[in-house]
This record gives sequence, C-alpha cells and structure tokens, in this order.
Amino acid sequence: MDFFGDEEEYNTNVLAIIQRNHELVPGALCPAASATSSPSPRRRHRRRRSISMAGAMDLPAKGGFSFDLCRRNAMLAEKGLKMPGFRKTGTTIVGLVFQDGVVLGADTRATEGPIVADKNCEKIHYMAPNIYCCGAGTAADTEAVTDMVSSQLQLHRYATGRESRVVTALTLLKSHLFSYQGHVSAALVLGGVDVTGPHLHTVYPHGSTDTLPFATMGSGSLAAMSVFESKYKEGLTREEGIQLVSDAICAGIFNDLGSGSNVDVCVITKGKTEYLRNHQLPNPRTYVSSKGYSFTKGQTEVLSTKITQLEPKVEVAEGDAMEE
Amino acid sequence: MGDSQYSFSLTTFSPSGKLVQIEHALTAVGSGQTSLGIKAANGVVIATEKKLPSILVDETSVQKIQTLTPNIGVVYSGMGPDFRVLVRKSRKQAQQYYRLYKETIPVTQLVRETAAVMQEFTQSGGVRPFGVSLLIAGYDDNGPQLYQVDPSGSYFSWKASAMGKNVSNAKTFLEKRYTEDMELDDAIHTTILTLKEGYLVFLICCFCLIPLFQSNLIEF
Repeated sequence: MDFFGDEEEYNTNVLAIIQRNHELVPGALCPAASATSSPSPRRRHRRRRSISMAGAMDLPAKGGFSFDLCRRNAMLAEKGLKMPGFRKTGTTIVGLVFQDGVVLGADTRATEGPIVADKNCEKIHYMAPNIYCCGAGTAADTEAVTDMVSSQLQLHRYATGRESRVVTALTLLKSHLFSYQGHVSAALVLGGVDVTGPHLHTVYPHGSTDTLPFATMGSGSLAAMSVFESKYKEGLTREEGIQLVSDAICAGIFNDLGSGSNVDVCVITKGKTEYLRNHQLPNPRTYVSSKGYSFTKGQTEVLSTKITQLEPKVEVAEGDAMEE
Repeated sequence: MGDSQYSFSLTTFSPSGKLVQIEHALTAVGSGQTSLGIKAANGVVIATEKKLPSILVDETSVQKIQTLTPNIGVVYSGMGPDFRVLVRKSRKQAQQYYRLYKETIPVTQLVRETAAVMQEFTQSGGVRPFGVSLLIAGYDDNGPQLYQVDPSGSYFSWKASAMGKNVSNAKTFLEKRYTEDMELDDAIHTTILTLKEGYLVFLICCFCLIPLFQSNLIEF
C-alpha cells in the first residue's frame, strides 16, 4: 500500500498532520495495513517522522487524546480525504516465546458491532494437550476452525501414537483457511511446545502464516505490540513472560474499544500446560444495587385512572378438582 | 444341503435363511488368536495372545489392542487388516460424535456405530464382510461395559466373553470363575489364567479400564 509514497508531492504539511494524528490516537489502526504489510507500519513511522520536521506541533506529554486536530480533520474530510476505517476484529491476542516454552494471552470481550456481547468469553482454544490457539475475528469461525483441527489432531495422535506437533496444527489450519479464500474470518495466534521445541505462529484469514518470537493479532494488536517491542527480550523467565503478556493485553484492553474485560493467560512448557483463566480482572463489575430494582408505591406519579369492567365471558361450573 | 449353491454370494439368502458368507466369516474369526474380556465391578479388562509368526518379527510394531477414545479400548480375533480399518473408522466416528454433541461418546453409541459399519458390508455390492469379531471395552457414566461385535453386525453385552480359537474351553473356564462382584485385579488374574489354559502362550497383551477413565495397556 504505497498511499503515502505516491503522494509525496501532494502536501507534505498535510501528510505530516495526518501522520501525527495517527500517532496521537492510542491503539491507532493503520489504514489497510493488515497482514500483507505487517513489517512496514513500523518502518513507516520512522519515515513519517523525518518528513514531519517542518510543521511540528507540540505533542501532549503523556498519551491521552488531543483534540487539537479535530477541526483540521473535519476540513480535510470536506476536501475529500478518506479517513481510515476500523478493523472488525475486536480483540487483543498475543503470544511470546520464553526460555522454557510459550505464553499466550487474550482479552475476554466479544463484540457485536458497538455492543459487548460477552463480557467474559474464552478466546484461548484447546488444540492438543501441548498446543493452544488464541482466536481473533468472527467468534464462530475461530471456534469452528479450532475445534475441527483439534479433532483432526486427535485422530492423528491415535494413528501415529505420538504427541502432536505445532507445525501440524499450523499446516492443517492454513490449508483450511486458504481453501476458503479468506471467507473464514479467523486470525489466530498458535503456540505450543513439542519434541522439536517451543513454537509460536500467527495465522491470517487468507491462510498465510508467520513464525515469530512474539506476536499480536486483533484490533488491539498495535497497542499490545508497542508493549512487546519495548520490553521483550530473549530468555525471559516464566514470571517475566506472564507479566509481559498481561501488560500487553492490558494495553489492548484499556486502549482499544474492541478489547476489554479480563486477561486470560496460557503457559505451555515441555510436559505441562497451565491455563490461567481470568489471570487478571482489571475491570471488576460492581453491582450498585444489591437490593434489586423494586419500586415502592407512590414513587410513580399517577396521572389518570380509568377502570373498565370486563363482561363475564366464562361460566364457572362447580365440578371435581381434577375433572377434565 | 442346498446351501453350498448360495455360499459364494454375500447378498443372497440361502434356502435355510442364512447368509452363508457371514457364517464363513465367523469361521475365519474362530480360527484367529484367542481374545477375551471380563467386566469387573470397578473396571473392564480385555486381553489377547500376541503370537508372532517368527522371533524375528519386531513385536512393538504389532498392536493387537487399540484405544478408540481415552476410555474405550478394543481387541479382536480374526484378520488383522480388517481390524485396522474398523479401528480407524471407529475413531473417526468418536471424533465426529464429539464435534457434534461436545460430549465424549458413550460406549453403547460407539458400539452401535461400529456394528452399523460392519452390517453395511453385509448388504452392499462388491464387498465382503469383515473377518473379525471385536470386543469393545469401555468405562463411562453407566459404569464398566463389555460388548462383542460380530461380522454380521450384531452386538451383545457380556459380563465375560471369549473369541477365537479354543473359545469353548475358555468360556467354560470363565463361567466357572466369574463372580458378579469381582474386583479388577481378580479379573486381570482370571484373564491371564484363562489364556494360559489354552496352550503355550508366548505373549499376552492386557488392557484394563478403571474408573476416572484411565486405561492401561500392559504387555508381558
């Protein structure tokens, strides 16, 4: 997507402002910078900064939303500049490799457009005793695809008599997704430990995969990735790994609308898997009224009263209690 | 009898009302290696003799007892290759059941589906019946269960049963030894004794299922 590249001559100041706007909005969504160009967004940021030296504006000291550019954005929208759309995968899912294995993390909010459909759903799916998979995208698609591959892996285990390998799960997933040409909207972070060691992969809805030491997917992926990029190092201990994953998910929860509620973590090591459901609950739900919603008489003002006598339609004849 | 004229076609009844091919399949089973199973009060055990054609055969590559699910196992008497095909089909059916109902398949359901497969092969064109009888042992919510499935597709629930060579001796022995409130250890002991009754036994495979859906495969 060379939108910025081709239009360099357009107006460098305008470009600088749009770019700065993206940097300001926490958990910003890259315009169409989805799977296909995942390495470039980070590089693009660096390029943008060098261009924007000219009309520099003061950035707010610490995160937060600056309303300075709203009028400018409105003016640009009038001029016909298309604002970037929202990615539909409302989730933050992450994974990282630490010294003994893999840690996977996910938020627990399921959304239906702007409405939270499930405040505490499970996004980390079981694939095999040593392989788990986080799913972003359409919930039904991720559930169905992970169930199906989990079933296939079980049959494979029976046939071979061996523990399943992560690459097997990976290949089964990617072939299925590719054959559906991206219509199965499932973006997955697959992690596990097998005889060949710990593995972490990302799978995109069209069927491409990446193998990475740390990965994030979903609408909160940029927020989470910023945490990983700054704090990840090789040879993390278990506690450090869990802490880093929780921090990344929390970044997604607090900065992305599509992610929220709690943090689920899954730690997979050689021979042992721990699924820490609701490892952190940073959004406790407090029910204000424990008494319930009962209204005492007199709280509602009666404006008018009209009583209608109903004609007696049914004759009640004396009979036995249980007579039909 | 006029049966012999009808013995070659699977899908033709003989005048005496039998499907002679299935009778022949049962004969094939009857000449296979002995296998037996006992249902105890707290578990099930199935066992078979693992007789190899020569000492040069790698015995770890021969698997006469297989798991279909973590709490259901199966042993056979008869033709090994037919057994492998049935095991594969049964495992797939167990997985399909799980994907449909999100419940681990109960023993009776799996037995029924396996028996249905075996029956299909007695009513289709161009195929022959399976030359195996299966003993399916499982432990689920209804407790320990033992079923025998025949090439015809009929299945029976047994408290104790034997198949293959020497079946009459084995069954008589089991009838004498079996008690309703047998514990699993007793059952294993009885199984081994029954197998040894037959003849010189080289290798025995034993498979037992106990509560908590654990299964153990022992070979000695």
